[in-house]
Amino acid sequence: MKNKFIILIGLLLAMTLILSGCAAGLTASSWPGVTADAKNAYLSGGSYVYAVNLQTGAQVWRYPDKASANPFDATPALTSDGQLIVGGFDKKLYSLNPQTGQSIWQFTEAHDRWIGGALVTDKMIYAPNADYNLYALNLQGKLQWTFQADQSIWGVPVSDGTNVYFGTLGSKVYAVNAQSGKQVWMDKVDGAVLGSPVLGTDSTLYVGTYGGTIYAMNSSNGAAKSLTTTEKTTANWIWSGPTLNANSLYFGDGNGSLYAYPVGGTGQPWKQSLNGAIIGTPLVTTDTIVIGTEAGNVYYVDKTGKSPRPIAVAGKIYSSPVAAGSLVLIAPTGGTATLVALDQSGTVKWSFIPAK
Amino acid sequence: MWETIIVNPFTNALLMIYKLIGGNFGIAIILFTILIRLITHPLMASQIKGSTKMQEMQSSKEWLEIQKKNKDDKEKLAQEQMKYYKEIGYNPLSSCLPSLIQIPLIFGLYQSITRAMAASPIQLLTLTRTVYSFIPVGNLVPLNSKFLWMNLGQPERIYVLGYAIPLLAIIVAITTYVQSKVTMPATTNPNDQGAMMGKMMALYMPLLLGYFALTFASGLSVYFITGNLIGIAQYALLGKVNWKALIPGQKPATALATRKK
Repeated sequence: MKNKFIILIGLLLAMTLILSGCAAGLTASSWPGVTADAKNAYLSGGSYVYAVNLQTGAQVWRYPDKASANPFDATPALTSDGQLIVGGFDKKLYSLNPQTGQSIWQFTEAHDRWIGGALVTDKMIYAPNADYNLYALNLQGKLQWTFQADQSIWGVPVSDGTNVYFGTLGSKVYAVNAQSGKQVWMDKVDGAVLGSPVLGTDSTLYVGTYGGTIYAMNSSNGAAKSLTTTEKTTANWIWSGPTLNANSLYFGDGNGSLYAYPVGGTGQPWKQSLNGAIIGTPLVTTDTIVIGTEAGNVYYVDKTGKSPRPIAVAGKIYSSPVAAGSLVLIAPTGGTATLVALDQSGTVKWSFIPAK
Repeated sequence: MWETIIVNPFTNALLMIYKLIGGNFGIAIILFTILIRLITHPLMASQIKGSTKMQEMQSSKEWLEIQKKNKDDKEKLAQEQMKYYKEIGYNPLSSCLPSLIQIPLIFGLYQSITRAMAASPIQLLTLTRTVYSFIPVGNLVPLNSKFLWMNLGQPERIYVLGYAIPLLAIIVAITTYVQSKVTMPATTNPNDQGAMMGKMMALYMPLLLGYFALTFASGLSVYFITGNLIGIAQYALLGKVNWKALIPGQKPATALATRKK
C-alpha cells in the first residue's frame, strides 16, 4: 500500500511538472528587440535586458541580476533625459539607467504583458500593453492618462505631436489625442495590426496587417487613401509595419517576399523573393535595404530590388535590423549569439553571446 | 509526433468550433470537452464495467479464499490473482486505463488552449504555422479571450473588497471532489486496496486540479469543470451515481445493495 501511495504521489507530481513545463515552454522562446545610442546597444530578449558595447560587443550590464521567469519581448526605448524604458511579461514597465542598468522607477498598473515597445517623446512615454490599454506616462513614470482600445496593442505607436497612432490585434487603427488621451478617430482594417504604423511627410499613415494588406490612411480622419488592391495586397500576412524611405514603402510578408511600393515620385514597385518568412521591418540605409528572415538569413538588397546578398546567421530572425553608427544590429532567436553586429558590407564585426 | 497527433488536431478543432459558433472561445472549449467526452465514452463505460466487475470479484468466495490462503506469500498471491483474473475473463487495466487516457488529453488540451490564445508573438507565429490551410487564420486571430468574467489565456481571479479570489479554482476543486465521491465504487471489503486508492484520489485530485486551475490559463479550468460535470452526468446515465456518498457518515447505497445480494 505504501508503495502504491508513493507511486500515486509521484504520478501527480510528474503531471504537475509536465504541465508546468508546457507553460514554461510557451514563454521561454524570446522575441528580441534592440535599440542603440552612440555607445551601447540595448537588447531585450529572454530573461534579461542587456547593454552591449558597440565597439567590442562585450556586455556592459544586464538586468535583472537573477534571470527573470518572465521574458522581456518589448523593444527598449531611450528617452532624451537618459532612461531606458522596457516592459516585461511580468506586467511591469521598467525605467533603467542606460549607463549602469540600475532601476530608476517601475510602473506596475498594467494588467497584462508588455509586448510592444514604448514610443518616447520629449516629455511623454506612450506604452502599449496587451491589456488593451495605451498608457501615457510622464518621464518620471507617473500615469497621465489611459486609453482603452478594443484589443491588445503589440506595435510601437507613432505620433505627429498632436495625435498618437497605433493598431490593435482587433483589426482596428486608432488616433488618440496625445495630450488628453481622447479618441480622435478609429478605423477598421482587414486583419490584426501586429506592428507599427509609419507616418509620411504628407500626414498619410501607413499600416500593415495580418490580413496581408498595406493601408494608406489620412491621419486627420482615418479615411483610406488610394492604394489599389493589387498593389497593396500581399500573398501572406504582414507582421511588422512598413518602412518609409524617399517616397517608397518597404515591407515583407510571411512568404518571404520583400516589397517596395512607391507612394509618391517616380519609383517603380518591385518584389523580391527571399528564403524564409519576413517578420521584422526592413532597415533602409543609403543604398541598401537590410532585412532578416525566419530561415536565419540577413539579406542586403539594393534599392531596385536586385542582387540580394544573403548572410547566414545562426538562429531565426524575428526582430527588425537596427542601425547603430556604421553597424547593422541583428538579434537572432534560438542561436548561440543573441546579438550580431554586421558592417555595411555584411561582414560580421562581433557576436554577443550572453554569459550563463 | 505529439504535436501532429494531439496538439495540432486539438488546436484546429478548437478553432473550427470557435469559427462555427461565431467567436466565443469559452463555448468552444465547452463544446470541445463534450466532444472529447463523447469520443471517450466507450472507454468510460468500460471503466465502470471493470470497476463493477472488480467489486463483485473481490467479494466472491474464491477471491477471499485466495487472499486467505496466500496472505504470507505476496508473490504467490499475485500469481494466483492473475490466474483468477484469467479464469473469470477480467482485465485489471480495464478500470484504470480510461483514467490514464485522460492525462495526455489534459496536456494536449492545455497546450492547444494556450496556443490558440496566442498571447505572445512567438505563440501567434506558432499558431499561424499550426492551422490547417482550409481555416482562414487571418480572419480568426486573435481569438476573443473574454468569456464571462474571465480572460481564458490567464489564470482567473475575481476581486472582492480588494482581495483576489480564485473562484474558478475553488469550483474546479469542488466539482472534482464531488465527481470523485459520487462515482466512487462502493466496497464491502475493508482491505480493498483499490477503494483505498480511490479515497486517496478523491482527496488529492481536487487539490491537484485546483492547483492547476490556480496557476494556469483559466481555459483549462473551463475544461476541468465541464469535464467533471459531464463525468457525473455520464455516470448518472449509466445509473452509477451515488449521491449519498456526499453525506458524511452515510454508508454507500451500492455497498448495501451488494451486501443484500
